[in-house]
Amino acid sequence: MAAELLMEASVVLANDYTNALEEGFKVIPALTVVLMLAVFLGVGWFFRVAAVDELWVAGRSIGPIENGMAIGANWMSAASYLGVAALVGTLGYFGLAYVVGWTTGYFILLIFMAAQFRRFGKYTAPDFVGDRFYSEKARAIAAFTTLVIAVVYAIGQGSGMGLMAEYILGVSYEVGVVVFMLVTIGYVALSGMLGTTKNMAIQYVILIVAFTGGLYAVGWTQGYSTVFPYLEFGAETAELSEIAAEAERQFIEPFAQGSLYAWVALAVSLILGTCGLPHVLVRFYTVDNERTARWSTVWGLLFICILYWGTAAYAVFGGLLYEDPASGADTGVTTGEVGSFMDMPGADADALVVLAAQLADLPEWLVGLVAAGAVAAALATTAGLFISASSAASHDIYTTLYNPDATQRQQVLVGRTTIVAVGLLVMLIALNPPALIGELVAMSFAIAASVFFPVFFLGLWWENATSEGAIAGMLTGIGISFVAILNDVLPMYVDIGGEGAVSPELAAILPGTSSALIGVPVVFLVIIAVSRVTQDPPEDVKRMVRQCHSPEPMSQQQTAEDVAATDGGQPADD
Amino acid sequence: MTKTMYDTILVPTDGSKVAEKAVEHAIDLAQKYDAKLHALYVVDTDAVDIGLGTEQVERIKAGKFGEMEELQNRAKKATNAVGEAAAEHGIEVIEDVAAGRPHRSIDEYAKKNDIDLIVMGSKGRSGVRRALLGSVTERTLRSTYIPVLVVDFREEDD
Repeated sequence: MAAELLMEASVVLANDYTNALEEGFKVIPALTVVLMLAVFLGVGWFFRVAAVDELWVAGRSIGPIENGMAIGANWMSAASYLGVAALVGTLGYFGLAYVVGWTTGYFILLIFMAAQFRRFGKYTAPDFVGDRFYSEKARAIAAFTTLVIAVVYAIGQGSGMGLMAEYILGVSYEVGVVVFMLVTIGYVALSGMLGTTKNMAIQYVILIVAFTGGLYAVGWTQGYSTVFPYLEFGAETAELSEIAAEAERQFIEPFAQGSLYAWVALAVSLILGTCGLPHVLVRFYTVDNERTARWSTVWGLLFICILYWGTAAYAVFGGLLYEDPASGADTGVTTGEVGSFMDMPGADADALVVLAAQLADLPEWLVGLVAAGAVAAALATTAGLFISASSAASHDIYTTLYNPDATQRQQVLVGRTTIVAVGLLVMLIALNPPALIGELVAMSFAIAASVFFPVFFLGLWWENATSEGAIAGMLTGIGISFVAILNDVLPMYVDIGGEGAVSPELAAILPGTSSALIGVPVVFLVIIAVSRVTQDPPEDVKRMVRQCHSPEPMSQQQTAEDVAATDGGQPADD
Repeated sequence: MTKTMYDTILVPTDGSKVAEKAVEHAIDLAQKYDAKLHALYVVDTDAVDIGLGTEQVERIKAGKFGEMEELQNRAKKATNAVGEAAAEHGIEVIEDVAAGRPHRSIDEYAKKNDIDLIVMGSKGRSGVRRALLGSVTERTLRSTYIPVLVVDFREEDD
């Protein structure tokens, strides 16, 4: 729906006005980004693993706070940093579905999945699917889905980086996408070891300092807020909604921009998608024990909350400044291009966080810091996504399915080739992104929710789920989520006459960003029905599942597989 | 036992054909010099990072290699192959596993165990593959002071 909005906007703006971001190369912001990258590289180099002293002696393990920060950095991408404020700013109340959706998922992870995944103790998401459903076919489908999710998710990041490059480097959006994506590919592919938890914790600190620093500075200088902007934007919201009303737009009226159904469908897709994202789940496989897994989630949720709560405030401050810039710069509203802030073009919307700082006439270094924070957010998430793609290709597809005798060097070659290939593909699509940053990322959530969430959930909690059920379920999930997305974005690439979705009727029930409200229950039913009529899983698999939620705490080094193998897997009482 | 030039010989292996070729040479030398033979498998942390994910590297660093069965089995398979080949010639092999960047780990292991000679296989790489991977043997040559015997492997040796 907002994809249409973006298209409309780009049609309306056929004349001079392009966007409100200040043009020109900026020395201090550019140095900030370079310095930031140097810090990441330096930390990666300093903590590189040249040689492990003793393989079987306990070393330092990661605590819940550090792991929580890593969860936060991995999680919060350009979509969270820039995209959510853009969606709240242009869609008003409807945009709040993103805030709700992208935080609530962690509760489900916390209650139903984090500790259980730790107990299963596998390496990658396809590993879990392959082993739990004793099927290489299931593993292959999971690996394919992991790759698709990584690509779709990363397109949004490329788009965000391009916008930030416009401000920082003063280059065109396209050049910006190419430059920053190449930096990212090089960062991940050639240097290994850089995504250490240390680096992720630093990335989190940078992005949260930049984000909240910008928010406080905008609120303070404009007199919107004082010590706690999170709760101090009520009056501004009211003012903004009046401005919107004059332009005959509804800012705070619930379901004015999208129906109740669309709102719920979106929130559900994002919540369940959170629980199905391979690059989020990896952080739970390896922590010391279930307790750490749970507490990491709690800390992660707090760290994430600090940013999400601020997005709505940013959207409101940004909206007011877009209407009446303190810096006196031109915006879509002041030039008369658009009726109100809610109609701002996509490029302005996606840059709203940085734009708010710029329009508030904050010093250039501070605006640059806010932009650099967005780059850090995009980089951290993209690195995680690329690694999940490379492991799906190199470990799950190449080594496990194709060449079991592959040497480590061959695995590295396949992994790096995958990163370069995925990176280039993402770069190409990001040059002309089919939707707003937040929407692109939401599409990857819809895929994760429909394809992965049901097999993860039932895989962990229902021992009778069979491989046939899982395969049928995942294929159904792929079918539903892909059809919904293609229905939305295909007209961007193929001329089928007219704009908007291929079938507007289908898009209303099954939007590309929110197909999981229908997809997930259907996939659940398919898995359950097929599992009922096919032969039960082998006894050892059932034991493994029981062990995943046994009330007996496991010792540090155990996984469900070990316990099941030693005690015969007495059914646990849960 | 009189000290000869090569009392302890190290043959790093990744279980590949290239390494097997070097093993033949190492066994022969060990026989001639009546030397002790070490077989070392290095879990390449770059490969773990890119193949299994960064978190798994940290798992190894935290001393949890014991729970990573799949990696252990690969390592055992590679060093066992050396042990078996050597046993046919009546030579005892000390099998070991290390983790890190291969060339660094090989060098450190060699120093720690008073290795006199490292025997390694090499497969000429060129172009893109070399740029992306480099050569462990080449890097080992550059980072260690211990003599290295490089055994070239060519496809027709099969």
